Amino acid sequence: MIKIKNLTKYYGTGDNRFKVLDDISLEIKDGEYVVVLGASGSGKSTLLNVVSGLEKSDSGSICYDEKSISNMSEKQLTSFRKDNTAFIFQQYYLLPNLNVEKNVKMGADLYGNKDYKKYIEAVGLSDKLKKFPNELSGGEQQRVSIARALAKNPKVLFLDEPTGALDEKTGRLVLDYIIKLQKEQKFTMIMVTHNSNIAETADTVVRMNSGKIIEVTKNQHKKSAYEIGW
Amino acid sequence: MIVSIKDSFKLFGIFIITCCAVTVCNMFLNYYLDIIDIESLINNEYAQIFYDAQIMTCKVVCAVSGGCLLATTVVMLFFYIKHYIDSHGKEIGILKALGYSDFRIARSFSVFGLSVFTGCIAGYLISFALMPSFYELQNEDKILPEFSISFHPALFIILVAVPAIVFACIAVIHSMRKLKQPAVNLLKGITKAKGKNIEIKNKKNFIADMKSSVIRNRKTLVFFICFSSFCFAAMIQMSASMKDLSSEYMGIMIFIIGVTLAFTTLYIAVTTVINSNSKNIAMMRVFGYQTSQCKTAVLDGYRPAAYIGFFIGTAYQFGLLKMMVEIVFADFEGVPEYNFDVKMFLITLAAFIVVYEGIMLIYSSRIKSISVKEVMSE
Ligand SMILES: Nc1ncnc2c1ncn2[C@@H]1O[C@H](COP(=O)(O)OP(=O)(O)OP(=O)(O)O)[C@@H](O)[C@H]1O
Ligand SMILES: [Mg+2]
Repeated sequence: MIKIKNLTKYYGTGDNRFKVLDDISLEIKDGEYVVVLGASGSGKSTLLNVVSGLEKSDSGSICYDEKSISNMSEKQLTSFRKDNTAFIFQQYYLLPNLNVEKNVKMGADLYGNKDYKKYIEAVGLSDKLKKFPNELSGGEQQRVSIARALAKNPKVLFLDEPTGALDEKTGRLVLDYIIKLQKEQKFTMIMVTHNSNIAETADTVVRMNSGKIIEVTKNQHKKSAYEIGW
Repeated sequence: MIVSIKDSFKLFGIFIITCCAVTVCNMFLNYYLDIIDIESLINNEYAQIFYDAQIMTCKVVCAVSGGCLLATTVVMLFFYIKHYIDSHGKEIGILKALGYSDFRIARSFSVFGLSVFTGCIAGYLISFALMPSFYELQNEDKILPEFSISFHPALFIILVAVPAIVFACIAVIHSMRKLKQPAVNLLKGITKAKGKNIEIKNKKNFIADMKSSVIRNRKTLVFFICFSSFCFAAMIQMSASMKDLSSEYMGIMIFIIGVTLAFTTLYIAVTTVINSNSKNIAMMRVFGYQTSQCKTAVLDGYRPAAYIGFFIGTAYQFGLLKMMVEIVFADFEGVPEYNFDVKMFLITLAAFIVVYEGIMLIYSSRIKSISVKEVMSE
């Protein structure tokens, strides 16, 4: 269970100071699949970073099962991330000097996962094991970053536009795989996206505008990645 | 201008090395030119032997230290050029895409000659400041007839003007070669130069994979770290023996040069490793690797090179001194027999271990200060 209470965050100083997150409160149950929707610049990525402990908030609290991460030291946060979370970033952020296989191994090793190749296969990159990030297309890089995160076997998975760089066919394929895995392994999943169709696959949809949550809806009937429009 | 004059000031490794090289070479060459003038005035055999030994010393010192430092300067210049092109790949790529010719871009690298020039000038001035006491010391016992310091314009040209021009040309030529690749590759960060996209065998875990990739991607830094501990080992042990063989003054001079070179190259190497890997480190931290694991992955791979450099340096200084004593000073009485100084070796080794591991420890706090948010800074 993730409890977010009165979260506020500012960026900038002096006259440039503005609120990116404005009094955000939210509860996310274990195994829940949440989609965050909102216009560009509304603070979605920032929310993800703060909730996952990558960035500090200015006020408010974030608790994972009663354990607050707001006051953790950098070392504690690191080991918290090791045991609990994985990320798929909007800009992929692969390690440029390592090939696909080793990029995925980076995630897998933390969990002691020797069987990481199946994730690479699942995102359709088994023939690109030895390729380096700069030899891959944007969408391929995005899929590597997905495999890397999944191989870590996280309790909570954060995804920032995981299908943003993918065409419809690959996008559906990858999304379907992520959702299937989520159902199987029952991890919590928080996904940011522009694509409001994707929201139909989630348990909960959170809409944001100018740093505020404006609406939270529950889906009665979740659709699969192949049933939604794109 | 693509590479600015300000950039040339950042090459302080080159500044330090050329400064040391010119200090030593100018001092000995100036001395050499001054004493060959008085050769005809020498009237006894003892003085002649002394004179021959002095001439030989000048030649050996200039050839060994000059040659060694010259080679290092070239390596360092190549390193800085590659580093500059790698870290400014996007800008340079865009310029190329816009139609700038390779030569037009490469020619701005000639400002790197400026750092050689400033280093040489500094060394040149320092050597003149040290020369009076050096001269006095060399002829302490008045074996040679009187002579004084004179100014040799040729030395200024050879040691200051020529290196600056030659290195400026080398910089242009070398950067031309590095720039000869499609603009897209520069933009994407695929450098044709060996060094990127190197396949490494699967190691037992990710940290080990990372460790060997870090080393393979920056082989020049292995050389720098090796060179650094080489200088440390060679110069400190040599300075101790010099105290007995020659004079305290020479000992101190060698000690200072050795320590300066060692720390400069180590500093350049380690800061480069960490800066060029800061994104990787941040990403590892995001996933939950602790600082100590990041340090292992990024820094520990260089340890063997450091220790190998240390032992090569030890062997080198022993060989050099043995040669000096047995060949150069062979006919000269009063030179103590030279043997390997085990005690000094152990002291230097202990100092080296403390200093090297201490510095690595300091740098792991640098690693700690890299924020996980750094992955997101583009
Ligand atoms: N490091 C920063 N310093 C200052 N302002 C920032 C910083 N990072 C983001 N911002 C600003 O904060 C606001 C929210 O950014 P955020 O990245 O969270 O938006 P987003 O909802 O993820 O947008 P998008 O859908 O385009 O990714 C934006 O207006 C952005 O300009
Ligand atoms: Mg975003």
